[in-house]
Amino acid sequence: MTTGRLGQVPKSVVCPLFPSCRMNNLTEFLAKYKHWFLFVLLEVCSLVLLFRFNNYQGSVWFTSANYVAGWAYEAGSELTSYLTMGKANEELTQRNVLLEQQVRELSARLYDKTHDPRYLKRGQYRFLEPFKLIPAKVVSSTLNKANNFITINKGSWDGVRKDMGVVCGNGVVGTVYLVGIHYSVIIPVLNSKSNISCSIQGRDYFGYLHWTSGPSSIAYLDDVPRHARFRIGDRVVTSGYSAIFPAGVLVGKVKHVYNSVDGLSFRIAVKLSTDFGNLRDVCVIDNASIRARKQVIEAAQDSIRSLAEESGGAE
Amino acid sequence: MVCSLVLAQVFVLNHIHLFGIATPLLYVYFVILFRRNYPQWAMMLWAFLMGLVIDTFSNTPGVSSGSLTLMAAVQPFVSRPFVPRDSADDLQPGVDTFGAGPYLLYAAIMTVLFCLVFFSLEMFSFFNLVEWAECVGGSSMLTLVLILVIDHVRGRQ
Repeated sequence: MTTGRLGQVPKSVVCPLFPSCRMNNLTEFLAKYKHWFLFVLLEVCSLVLLFRFNNYQGSVWFTSANYVAGWAYEAGSELTSYLTMGKANEELTQRNVLLEQQVRELSARLYDKTHDPRYLKRGQYRFLEPFKLIPAKVVSSTLNKANNFITINKGSWDGVRKDMGVVCGNGVVGTVYLVGIHYSVIIPVLNSKSNISCSIQGRDYFGYLHWTSGPSSIAYLDDVPRHARFRIGDRVVTSGYSAIFPAGVLVGKVKHVYNSVDGLSFRIAVKLSTDFGNLRDVCVIDNASIRARKQVIEAAQDSIRSLAEESGGAE
Repeated sequence: MVCSLVLAQVFVLNHIHLFGIATPLLYVYFVILFRRNYPQWAMMLWAFLMGLVIDTFSNTPGVSSGSLTLMAAVQPFVSRPFVPRDSADDLQPGVDTFGAGPYLLYAAIMTVLFCLVFFSLEMFSFFNLVEWAECVGGSSMLTLVLILVIDHVRGRQ
């Protein structure tokens, strides 16, 4: 029955809505120029990808946080990591020795002041208790663009979340930007969008760390007040005013001081302590206590908002 | 060939920045070599996919896929004047089929055009005319030299 009815349909295509209108012209037109339609479609896809990359979380699939790309980069960097391992090891050992000396010296001084025996043993560890460190390996990084990105081999399944801080043995690295299941993309200090609150150690003046493309060892600390007093060679550390880094993580040393463009503040050139050209092992800081504090603040803001809305509705 | 071009670009060529400006973008070779009368829609789709893979690896979404698709769209028109008369319908561009001079010119036009579009898209947000021109010039030269070298090696085999 059905086949018989189908067989009666005329061979030329007829528009289902208006049987008198023949669609030959339209289909011919489409068939003839189909590659140009495809061209426009593909270009639109590309431009959408291009323009939405900066604020579109879904684009994680088309970056190096993608599983396949991340895996390939990891294999590549495992090969090359053996070549630079010796130098990295040496640097870490040196820094470890320096820090151990400092710890010993400081806890001795603290003990002299307080005579509290706790400081002799686990004084330093108390401060690190709230932070869970997620060790990760860098699988790809760039140095010479205006917006550099670093890919690491830990993702949401390992507890990495957006906006966590990332440090390495020598100092600060950046903040987590895109998180895939097994890999994440980091905005390092060497990115024009990076913006980390820093202070000068021991003086507590603070400013924001920016990087303009150029050498990978120099960044600029902006908005330092003009009445600030410091010396060349002073250590620049994170200020702890954000929910990303705890206070006191080393960033670099003051190298030079300039006036800002508007002349209202200082602009400090900072020699970064992290060697971005030779970065292998990093740690993501899971700053649970600060996150909990942030949640409390947000909850408080929410409750105030609902109060305000209620009073607004009553009026 | 697609695979080896991608691997070479991602692991070797993307890390070359000669004098801080010139990066070889060898994968345009893929589009240069399309045979005459290859269906244009298939060509564009291939080019787009290739660009997407390169983009995925180098964190530049849309830049190389967009420019490579454009190259696939203009390739038939660029190659048409260089095709010798009474040649095969599925002629593949090359030194042996085009002749050395015309092939060099054809490859140069394709490469320069590609670098032009690529760096225009990449530098969209911070436009510095001098840096842009340097990048386009340097990268085109480097890419062209690489293409000629590879052609030479392939021709010998």
